[in-house]
Amino acid sequence: MNELINGFPVLTVTGLTQGAIYALVALGYTLVYGVLRLINFAHSDVFMIGTFGAIWTWSAFGFDANSPRPSVGGALGLIALAIVVAAILCGIFAMLVEVTAYRPLRARNAPPLAFLITAIGASFVLSEGMAAFTNRRQFGVPAMLPTDPLFSIGSWQVTPLQLTTIAVAILMMVALDWFVQRTKFGRGIRAVAQDANTAALMGVNKNRVILLVFLIGGLMAGVAAVLSDMKAASTRFNVGFLIGLKAFAAAVLGGIGNLRGAALGGILLGLAENYGSAVFGTNFRDFIGFLVLILLLMFRPTGLLGESLGRARA
Amino acid sequence: MRQIFVRAIGGVALAALVLGGAAACKQDEGGTEGGSASKVCDLKIGFFGALSGGDAGLVTPGKQAADLAVKQYNAEHADCKVSIQAYDSQGKPELAGGLATSAVGDAKVVGIVGPAFSGESETANPIFQQAGLPVITQSATRPSLADNGWAIFHRGVGNDFSQGPAAAAYIKSINAAKVFVVDDQSAYGAGLADEVKKALGATVVASDKATDNQQDFSAIVTKVTSSGATALFYGGYTEEASPFLKQLRAGGYKGTFVGGDGIYDANMLSVTGNADVEGAVATCPCAPATTAKGTFVQDFKAEFNAEPGVYADVAYDLTKIYLEAIGEGKSSRADIQAFLKSYNKAGSATGVTYKWDDKGELDPAQVRVWSYIAKNGAWAPDKEIPKA
Amino acid sequence: MLLEVDNITLLYGRIQALHGITVHVNEGEIVALIGANGAGKTTTMRAVSGVRAIASGRIRFNGVDITRMRADLRVIQGICQSPEGRGVFPGMTVRENLEMGAYTRKDTGNIAKDMDHVLDLFPRLRERFKQAGGTLSGGEQQMLAVGRALMSRPKLLLLDEPSMGLAPMLIQQIFEIITEINQRDGTTILLVEQNAQQALSRAHRAYVLETGSIVKEGTGQELLHDPAVKDAYLGVA
Repeated sequence: MNELINGFPVLTVTGLTQGAIYALVALGYTLVYGVLRLINFAHSDVFMIGTFGAIWTWSAFGFDANSPRPSVGGALGLIALAIVVAAILCGIFAMLVEVTAYRPLRARNAPPLAFLITAIGASFVLSEGMAAFTNRRQFGVPAMLPTDPLFSIGSWQVTPLQLTTIAVAILMMVALDWFVQRTKFGRGIRAVAQDANTAALMGVNKNRVILLVFLIGGLMAGVAAVLSDMKAASTRFNVGFLIGLKAFAAAVLGGIGNLRGAALGGILLGLAENYGSAVFGTNFRDFIGFLVLILLLMFRPTGLLGESLGRARA
Repeated sequence: MRQIFVRAIGGVALAALVLGGAAACKQDEGGTEGGSASKVCDLKIGFFGALSGGDAGLVTPGKQAADLAVKQYNAEHADCKVSIQAYDSQGKPELAGGLATSAVGDAKVVGIVGPAFSGESETANPIFQQAGLPVITQSATRPSLADNGWAIFHRGVGNDFSQGPAAAAYIKSINAAKVFVVDDQSAYGAGLADEVKKALGATVVASDKATDNQQDFSAIVTKVTSSGATALFYGGYTEEASPFLKQLRAGGYKGTFVGGDGIYDANMLSVTGNADVEGAVATCPCAPATTAKGTFVQDFKAEFNAEPGVYADVAYDLTKIYLEAIGEGKSSRADIQAFLKSYNKAGSATGVTYKWDDKGELDPAQVRVWSYIAKNGAWAPDKEIPKA
Repeated sequence: MLLEVDNITLLYGRIQALHGITVHVNEGEIVALIGANGAGKTTTMRAVSGVRAIASGRIRFNGVDITRMRADLRVIQGICQSPEGRGVFPGMTVRENLEMGAYTRKDTGNIAKDMDHVLDLFPRLRERFKQAGGTLSGGEQQMLAVGRALMSRPKLLLLDEPSMGLAPMLIQQIFEIITEINQRDGTTILLVEQNAQQALSRAHRAYVLETGSIVKEGTGQELLHDPAVKDAYLGVA
């Protein structure tokens, strides 16, 4: 308990940082679920591909784990570039999964179980493919941003990485919220989520909307992958598994299908894990995270904010 | 999800164990007959451990050394060769059962070097025991491995009863007043961390546990920095130790990072990066392979164009023990097991006298624990830690 | 002819819902399909809008064969349906629902003007402009569905049961608006209705369906005074 009280400011800031990453990944699960009622298990491995995309980008510029830290300007440029590359890479892989795995099943009106098994299969194909491609090696992430606190208010300190992570995540979420709520394509997504048949009668091409949803989910995962790389400092072929599970839990926590819920769920999960680890020990970290999920669902089966992409706004 | 797979694999392993055990019994009978009549050729020595994955850096030098020993043997016995059969467990206990079963099922495999890690040993060794297939591990150091009544088990290095106190002695020698201990809850990591805690006593101010595949260590980092510890002992492997160390440094921890032989590999350096790994300490119940005796270092360099890595010299000597047995015409698993039980010679590379007691342990007096310090992107041998 | 439906059949699994329906609609007409529940009126409508694939037969629209065309592409051709049960997007505001109607339009400059026009037709929608579709009353949702279909500026407007579940006063009102859309804007309308009295008095021509086949056709007035139709559908002695 002492550890929670003493470490509260740091635990909160680091928990928010991790939560922001969960939230970005959770958006991909929730978007696809909202439109297709499908849990896209391969999403976690799309994220994993993004973590490699960033490392490859940096290594193309000669940066590996042993490189000296670049200047702040250089680091920001390299981070922005890695975000672009990883986002595009993840977007492409997410769309590939949709086109090669799920779309053929929809065309044949496959039963839900076929989708579930295909989703799990696609997840393994991506992660084991990367495992074979990288010989299951672990890759270190080059140092980018300085680690000294950027500013502190009392015992509350924020490092450049934490600020960058939270700022980028908020920016992406605001942009996505604007896109879905305010643009024509966003309306198309919501229309398919709420009533696919009527959406078709309005001239919405369902397959194109679904592809768009996978693309957006992939872009978000790519951004999250770069942020996660810098925080975790290493990656390997199986990093998607645990973070994907957490992000999926975050999506359910907030109300699956609900974009704002995914953001809220991610942040709550990140905080709960940190506080729980401080009080009970880090070996209880996942225990706490999922206990929170189960308890919450007992009282609010549809999650904190309900399923809003698909149904009436609560 | 993974749980289900693990269970499924476990079930298959169990079924295969029964079948494989039966096959192996028949093999033993055949082998004894063949042994008296004529020499059996094309025998295999299994090499079992993480040859890929995040912890492969601890194991592949040993595999290279084993290959080298066999190559040298075959050059002298061109008429009756031996080969190495690799079993890549990736260091995962859940894969070890299946691999052990396939090793047992291959009648040509008469001995195993490995399994390299403690966790996988706990899964694989019962299967080897069932089939009477002898194993000598070059690096699985959890003490309790010797307490299972596995007659086939031999340990070619000191266990954590030696390493734990030695790591503690090292931490005392750098005058750390407050020590934080973390382990990864693996058979090896938790066992080693417990020994360190026991030996350090009250200087351990707090401890915590990481989990397999953990990526985010923010809560532990917070605890470490707020504990005011000046030294941290990590019981576990590189896969988690590397990101943990980097996040510790990013979180402002300035103290010494000490780990066991689980982090004494090249990946710890390359994945963590020189800046953050500099000054990290690894203890190992192994003398520096680069100072090995005889022509080993020279031969290894000539073959692989690289310095011999961790446990290379140990694996080389262990492989040569099997080769010696085969050279003397021992060709069944039972004969080789008997050969090991009565073995009493010094290894040509390590200089350690290999003589095993009933539990398969070496004489503790033979065990030397060294400390290694990460300097400029390499593990520099520091000193042999004096016995307490 | 704007729409030609030529001898189409349609299956729901193994059950044949349509047995060779032939219907045509001329430009500028209101054409009604009447019949009992399960006669195949709505199914015919779905075949025209493309929500259900037909088993045989042909559908031509404005000179183009649309038999195998996807529903969303038929909207671009100029067919827009206000579906049975309204199909209002519950999580979208009235405004967003109307904008969905204009989803395929390229002439974005005229959309605001058309929305104004729709809001003039249905003043209630103006009052509810920022309210979520799911919170509207049944009558308001029906108006919204019709208004939304108009937003696509259809050449052919398909109205499926526009009076369903509405109070008598509202029924009268909605049919007046349908007539107004047809006369003032020149929009061609294919109408499915259970309220045969209203439908026949508003329609230029009409078809009577029974168990997936057409049993009678004629002008609205003819059918309105046909004794058999009166007996079966108009509920007058």
